[in-house]
Amino acid sequence: MEHEPVDVLIIGAGASGAAIAWSLLETRMRILCLEQGGHLTDAEYPSRKEDYELSRYAEFSCDPNVRGLKQDYPINSENSCITPVNWNGVGGSTINFLAHWPRMRPSDFRTKTLDGVGEDWPINYYNLEPFYEMNDLNIGVSGLPGNTAYPEYKISNPPIPIGILGQTLAKGFNNMGWHWWPSDVAILSRDQEGRQKCVNAGTCDLGCAAGAKGGTNFTYWPLLERAGVELRTNSRVREIQIDEATGLANGVLYHGEDGQVHRQRAEIVIMACNGVGTPRLLLHSSSNLFPEGLANRSGLVGKNLMFHPLTGVAGVFKEEMKGHEGPMACSILSQEFYESDPSRGFSRGYGLHSGRSTTPMTFALGGYGVDNPIPWGNEHLEIMDNIYPYLAGLTIVTEDLPEEHNCVTLDADLKDSDGIPAPKINYTLGENTKAMIKHGEERAREVLLAAGAEKVLAKNDDKVWWRAGWHQMGTCRMGNNPSNSVVNSWGRSHDVKNLFIVDGSIFVTAGAVNPTSTIQALALYVGDQIKNNIQTLFD
Amino acid sequence: MLTQTEMAILNNILDQLIPANKKRDLPSAGKLEIAAFIVQRASKNPVLKKDIASIVLYAQSKADKVSPNFVRQLQDNKPSEFESLLIETYKGYYSRPDIREKLGLSAHAVHPQGYDVKKESEELLDALTEPVRQRGPIFLDPTGGKKDGA
Repeated sequence: MEHEPVDVLIIGAGASGAAIAWSLLETRMRILCLEQGGHLTDAEYPSRKEDYELSRYAEFSCDPNVRGLKQDYPINSENSCITPVNWNGVGGSTINFLAHWPRMRPSDFRTKTLDGVGEDWPINYYNLEPFYEMNDLNIGVSGLPGNTAYPEYKISNPPIPIGILGQTLAKGFNNMGWHWWPSDVAILSRDQEGRQKCVNAGTCDLGCAAGAKGGTNFTYWPLLERAGVELRTNSRVREIQIDEATGLANGVLYHGEDGQVHRQRAEIVIMACNGVGTPRLLLHSSSNLFPEGLANRSGLVGKNLMFHPLTGVAGVFKEEMKGHEGPMACSILSQEFYESDPSRGFSRGYGLHSGRSTTPMTFALGGYGVDNPIPWGNEHLEIMDNIYPYLAGLTIVTEDLPEEHNCVTLDADLKDSDGIPAPKINYTLGENTKAMIKHGEERAREVLLAAGAEKVLAKNDDKVWWRAGWHQMGTCRMGNNPSNSVVNSWGRSHDVKNLFIVDGSIFVTAGAVNPTSTIQALALYVGDQIKNNIQTLFD
Repeated sequence: MLTQTEMAILNNILDQLIPANKKRDLPSAGKLEIAAFIVQRASKNPVLKKDIASIVLYAQSKADKVSPNFVRQLQDNKPSEFESLLIETYKGYYSRPDIREKLGLSAHAVHPQGYDVKKESEELLDALTEPVRQRGPIFLDPTGGKKDGA
């Protein structure tokens, strides 16, 4: 089936797809977004149900291989110590992300110059700064101004409570003389435009039924749809097509809700499918012009995959820490060990994020993102009575360096429900990351004891969390040189002049912070560049 | 799927996995008949169904002697089946609103009510963050604060 052509076709209705659609609204171009999943209805949010926790291990798991829903594609992670997690639907992974909202820091854009690792970005923090600010206003960010880990910036809502857990940990950091700050969060601390402020339900990963969390299903999409952007759901793109005469993308083939293959023509194609989905689709869109995958003359599509490897250390305190109350991942964040220090034996750094113990079920099953049930019998009672209520943890979130062998390819056998090859992840931890994790575990232990922990629990192995693949970056990185990057400094493919990428795959380095605020700022920046260059866009 | 006797065996095993907790007035998993929850889930999950059948078969000869030692043997001899059982037991037990409430959580669905967490006063946040402010900026800025910086 052939559809009326559009000016702009965006693939993916998640963080970046929504942001760039908003940026391009003022151009009055006809914008269509194809999304492989659907809208969530209010009744579908697990937190509306009494047995809400069960869905964390079933249809609302962060792991598409566990969910196995029609809109999900399977991911082969056999050759990886981390499996990617996501959500496929309107909102993308902002449906089940934890809404921690730190920005990247100025040094993150210059790791090659500063530390001789990774590559420098073709843009810097200050190119993105106005777009961070613009996006924060659209999303509704809460936090405390004055964080000494960043150049000054504005925050529109007061911080959410850091709670007894945050206060306790903060005292530990103060005792050590180390940096910490209340987390910036894409969570409302007061009602805003029909969205309810956070009620501390502690189920951010199960979607936020109140709309307090800044998922694009509550922020950008209602506005975009009212403004006339067409959102075509349950529509999975199988390939981007190329006009062999011009070398330009001329549209896509997609599997529609009716089960048929549709053709959609477009003047501009924008990919917003995340750091795994975007290289998957490019690699699957091979042609005579691009036998190794679309826009892949550099050979770097799918390469340099970066996550943020995580591990945790927890302290047992005298007082109950109420780990089930409040946003799951957001209370306080220390960036004391963020910048490089040669004396530590590794390059770049990490953050120490406060972690909550969640609900009894999730704790008993090993904790969020971990499959390792706690012991049974009397030992079980001991843990649930004397450890669980008193836990406050720190998660070590490390910067991952780009390495070409960490990559996304197409699986030879595994396919999604439409017969499109699944992505295959090849990923190992670098020695730099391992050293960073060890250093982070030791510092976490010190600060927990300084905060008054009576006992510190650590895994004492070098494994990282399996379901830590939230942040998928680097697989189509940006740069000025077409031989070592996939897109230019404003997200346009070096090889296909009307193809843009705006998701985490264009990151050059990963930083050591949750990337969504940067992903969206970058999408707004690319949108701005498209508008500024509209007369010569395809030159 | 299971006979009454088999259900009783399963509940005896569950009593060992999560024993009663007198301090918090929590019944054991068997007393709560979490076996029924597991059997119901197994009816939709062939792998779990097989695991449970295997455990019940193994335990049949010990129906009246389910002790911690026996459960340890079960764990050693059927590790993957045992882990399935343990996971489902924890899910069944802790998803009960009455159990959640006794552990200090709300029994109700967490939306719309959630939890009432007291917001810190500005004075408290000021006092807590003062030592951090005192130490000043800790970020490196190779661009000197400029868009066209290095």
